[in-house]
Amino acid sequence: MSAETDGQVPAAEQHSRRSGPLVAVTRWLENLGETAFAYLLLTPVFLLLGSIALYPLLRTFELSLYANVLGAGEPEFVGFQNYVEMFTGARNADFPGSTTFLPATETSSSFPFIHVDGWLRSALIVTLLFTVVSVFFETIIGFGQALVLDQEFRGRRWVRAAIIIPWAIPIVIQGMIFYLMFHPSTGFLTPYLSSIGLVAGTNTLNDPWSALLIVTVADIWKTSAFMALLILAGLQSIDRSLYDVAKVAGATKWQQFKMITFPLVLPAVGIAILFRTIDAMRIYGLIDSVSSCTVVPSLSCMVVETFNTARGLSSAVAFVTAAIIGLLVTIVIIQQVREGI
Amino acid sequence: MATQTEQQTGSDEQNLGPLQQWTQGVLSDQEKQQRLYRALFYVAAIFFLVTTLFPFYWLLVLALTPNSAILGGDWSLPVIGLEFPHPQGFNVVAFVEVFQQVPFHLYVFNSFVLAVTTTIIVIAVASLAGYVFGRLDFPGRGPLLLGILVVSYFPPAAFLIPLFDAFLGNAVVLPFVGIELFEPPRLVNTPGAMIMPFSALFLPLSIFILMTFYSQIPDGLEDAARVEGTTRLGALVRVIMPLSAPGVATAAVLTFIAVYNEYFFSEIMALENVPQNWSPLVGGILSYQDQYTTDFNLMAAASIVGVLPMLILVIVAQEKIVSGLTAGALKE
Repeated sequence: MSAETDGQVPAAEQHSRRSGPLVAVTRWLENLGETAFAYLLLTPVFLLLGSIALYPLLRTFELSLYANVLGAGEPEFVGFQNYVEMFTGARNADFPGSTTFLPATETSSSFPFIHVDGWLRSALIVTLLFTVVSVFFETIIGFGQALVLDQEFRGRRWVRAAIIIPWAIPIVIQGMIFYLMFHPSTGFLTPYLSSIGLVAGTNTLNDPWSALLIVTVADIWKTSAFMALLILAGLQSIDRSLYDVAKVAGATKWQQFKMITFPLVLPAVGIAILFRTIDAMRIYGLIDSVSSCTVVPSLSCMVVETFNTARGLSSAVAFVTAAIIGLLVTIVIIQQVREGI
Repeated sequence: MATQTEQQTGSDEQNLGPLQQWTQGVLSDQEKQQRLYRALFYVAAIFFLVTTLFPFYWLLVLALTPNSAILGGDWSLPVIGLEFPHPQGFNVVAFVEVFQQVPFHLYVFNSFVLAVTTTIIVIAVASLAGYVFGRLDFPGRGPLLLGILVVSYFPPAAFLIPLFDAFLGNAVVLPFVGIELFEPPRLVNTPGAMIMPFSALFLPLSIFILMTFYSQIPDGLEDAARVEGTTRLGALVRVIMPLSAPGVATAAVLTFIAVYNEYFFSEIMALENVPQNWSPLVGGILSYQDQYTTDFNLMAAASIVGVLPMLILVIVAQEKIVSGLTAGALKE
């Protein structure tokens, strides 16, 4: 930047007339090269992210290679044993809860692909199932909301505020709302839904499938708005003159949507899906406040529930969670690099 | 859908059913078409409004209904007899009881302190970083930016165990080397144990937002300030930040909301759900769920009180939220 060379001289001259440590520091700062100055200003970021993110991530991986490190004596190095046992079900007793989420071995023997009670007591499957279902519906509903918000109408601002509000409320209150909507003592919805067999009639929030369904619905309710805003941004970046051309050519609204809107908004939808997927994989608070981690185990749940009792195992689960999300993040990185960050 | 019916248009138009006649009409008549789309639009808009707002209505119903009536579970409307949730009574006292049963105001106060402190730290650190990434050109810029972006995606659970150890006051050990670096102070049950993870987790979004805004300030303005004798940092604070005030506000609003809404560290880093341990809103709401398990009207009233600040913020700062979210994600 040319600013530096222009501005340096007068600034330095002025300060040289005074003295003291502050002036010395200022002068030193002003005379730093651009690269050194940039890295100096970034030190707080490095310190913060290094100590709160990078160090814990590496340390978690290290801990996961040891047997449970709590208690007396030197921790024993076991290599990848924690990871192996986690997936074979050998350590299921260390995970919370007594019920496995999905059908036990006798049912699943004919369906090998759902024989998953060994996979971290089905936490992996629960997390993936939750992520896929919720992101799928959030995309559809978010798209619908975005199409509505893309129109010009009176009160648009208020409708948009109403749609954003669920996104902006605390997770614990979102959990409380759905707890109150489906709790057998208060939930007026529970009798209807149980009569058509969607949720369990009694003890609804402690029934694994019912609770998973409710948690999924709660997530869709809250985060569709996020999808909607990202897709809306995509919609509004479409060149409006394309629609004028289409109108002149006699295209119906549906044809305009199919030929112009949909293909042009698809990249924005893709990015939104990626972001939501990464976020949905972290699910913890909603489960903890609506139901309980022992009823609907997610990956983050398993980490929280075991980190005080089985440290090595817990670290292994945490690192697997990070690795799965890391895979998704790689897609983001590739996309960003291609765009030229 | 449209293509199928279109093919029929040319065929026998006399002997058609009412539905087919109507579809014909819609296809041929522009005005009818407009009206159909308008109707569809209203149906969709009302559907989305009802689905997003109904849960809040349910909270209000529960909060205003005395607890005995809630447990009675009879939601039929007085005259028609139809089952529909409506307030049975006007029990405003619940909103007072919320603060008497547990010191709910202290939890909310903790949340505000944590959110404000984190926001100040994030804005300060992200401003420096946003200036660097938005206005300076230096080797390693791309990879560093990408690294910061990547950190924000990792789940809090991946950081929890070593952080919890460190915040308990155990020595920080250099990974894979085994050298004990230092013994940190015991931070659990203090604001620090939450503010530090919050700042790190929500920093990247603010960096991206501020980077975008700071890069749009013309170089000439910065140059002018520097000719006047301002230092580079002085120009950032006195020229670039004030000119990017909307961006700074956006980043601040989003950080504030994120901290206020956070669950993971808020729940874990305060060892007990008591306000003396700096347990924020999460602790206040959960203590109703855990201790007063049948006071459903108070749970609802507490939730309404907890939601109010966010409700106001959304209505006041709607534009900022929308632009910040999309800028952060799509890097406009």
